Amino acid sequence: MQTLTIQDLHVKIKAEPKHPEILNGVNLTINTGEIHAIMGPNGTGKSTLAETIMGNPAYEVTQGDILIDGQSILDLPVDARARAGLFLGMQYPSEIAGVTNAEFIRAAINARRDEDDALPIMEFLNQLDDTMEVLEMPTDMADRYLNQGFSGGEKKRNEILQLMMIKPSFALLDEIDSGLDIDALRIVAKGVNLMRGPEFASLIITHYQRLLDYIVPDVVHVMKGGHIIETGGPELALELEKTGYEHLGEA
Amino acid sequence: MWPNLPKIPYQRYTKTKDLGGTITVEPALPISTGNYQPTNELEAWLLADQTVHILDVPATTTALTVSGDAAGVLIVNVAANAELTLMEHWHSVGDTLGLLVVLNLGAYAQVTYINDDQFRSQTAVIDRVANLDDHAHLDWTVAGFNRSQGFALLQTNLRGISAKATVNVGALASAKQHFGYTTQVENIGQKTIGHINQRGVITDNAHLIFNGVGHIVTGARGSDNQQENRVLMLSDGARGDANPLLLIDENDVTAGHAASVARIDTTQLYYLMSRGLPKAQAQRLVIRGFLDAGLVGIDGDLRQDLFDQIERTLQHGMED
Repeated sequence: MQTLTIQDLHVKIKAEPKHPEILNGVNLTINTGEIHAIMGPNGTGKSTLAETIMGNPAYEVTQGDILIDGQSILDLPVDARARAGLFLGMQYPSEIAGVTNAEFIRAAINARRDEDDALPIMEFLNQLDDTMEVLEMPTDMADRYLNQGFSGGEKKRNEILQLMMIKPSFALLDEIDSGLDIDALRIVAKGVNLMRGPEFASLIITHYQRLLDYIVPDVVHVMKGGHIIETGGPELALELEKTGYEHLGEA
Repeated sequence: MWPNLPKIPYQRYTKTKDLGGTITVEPALPISTGNYQPTNELEAWLLADQTVHILDVPATTTALTVSGDAAGVLIVNVAANAELTLMEHWHSVGDTLGLLVVLNLGAYAQVTYINDDQFRSQTAVIDRVANLDDHAHLDWTVAGFNRSQGFALLQTNLRGISAKATVNVGALASAKQHFGYTTQVENIGQKTIGHINQRGVITDNAHLIFNGVGHIVTGARGSDNQQENRVLMLSDGARGDANPLLLIDENDVTAGHAASVARIDTTQLYYLMSRGLPKAQAQRLVIRGFLDAGLVGIDGDLRQDLFDQIERTLQHGMED
């Protein structure tokens, strides 16, 4: 089992040092084998939390720590954090021309392996074909440039394709449901559910209960005002769907 | 009169000139010698004391490779209705190289024209002129991987009605190199279409200039002229210029331009690195992708060779 621990995390935006802290004391422990969901109103710091864990250089940790299996990762750059087991399914994935999807995913997999132990090309292509079939992606998407000209839904599906190919220990999924119709949502959820197991954990950020009907979480957190104000089981998400966030006080 | 070469100190590059050099053609076609009437001072300088080689390409030829190791003057006449892929490989050494290539496309000829430029002489002065007759189509891509100082003038004259040309330039500038491209498309005939797309990557203390000149002359009604000039600077010492120029002397036409001089996109880097790619590899992918948009139509071994050159240059020339 692996554990991701967030301890009393305080975060600012580097470019806006005078702006108040966006996160002001987040505590969270996620073990592999668990799916956590974070819900909460807009502007409450959910994406900041995911980006900070991943190591986005735009954010600055002013207090607290982020640890994998007891080792702080705060000093690691984003690529080293990825190789340590983190993955961030982004809300707005970048488009990169000139680099094909397949080429990129293969490079990402091989970045985790020794130079003399690269994944054999045929094995890689077979895995890629199988995974794309699960996600109902047309085969030509492997040879298209990375996210270039992809629709919003295709980009999200492509994030899940990368997730399934890279097989990280901790997947942070930032609004992976936004802009998806119900069929696409079902497919994306199917991909995440296939990853479930003792060696995988996920932190799912969403505004809507809808996604959690398809990916049933073990733990639900509610975030407001820069920290977690309530934690419970999947029933908490259902309750929030009825009552909204308004009545929840500042803890 | 010298052609319009904004920001390029052409006098400095045109003081001396090496003579001679070998031009080979595969499959072998007869090369004759003859005359060429210069249309400007630059052509006159390039022609001085040089032999004018003339290559007539019949409509039955579909692929042709021209290789040269130095300076020269070459006129290529492509027959009407030909469908041709013309590849040029230039590898030079020495002091100052002056190259003039004039490509004449007969009516309805369709030509894919690829320039693999690997000039290594101290100075290189390159002038390529394409003249298109009625309904001729030209897809032209210049891979500018030179180490020389100097400049290139890439001039397309859309003379015939409905002639159409796309000119792509993918250039890499490194070390202390100063190099300028002036890529010019002139709409002369009616309903002609000309597009320019230039991409340049600059490392070390190099300076790269992209001039894009679109000129729609009087009488070229119904024509279209578009251009895009983009340079990416990878180091603090790198300098880039992107200068779009549109000269429009006719109504009832469409024209547009886009230009950018930028550093590497940190959002793209972050995305690639978030999947575990080390920074240097992520940078190389972003740069390759950027340059790739200027290397349209180049594939196979040449593409791999160019990508390998990019990798080698970046490994030496990247700053953190």
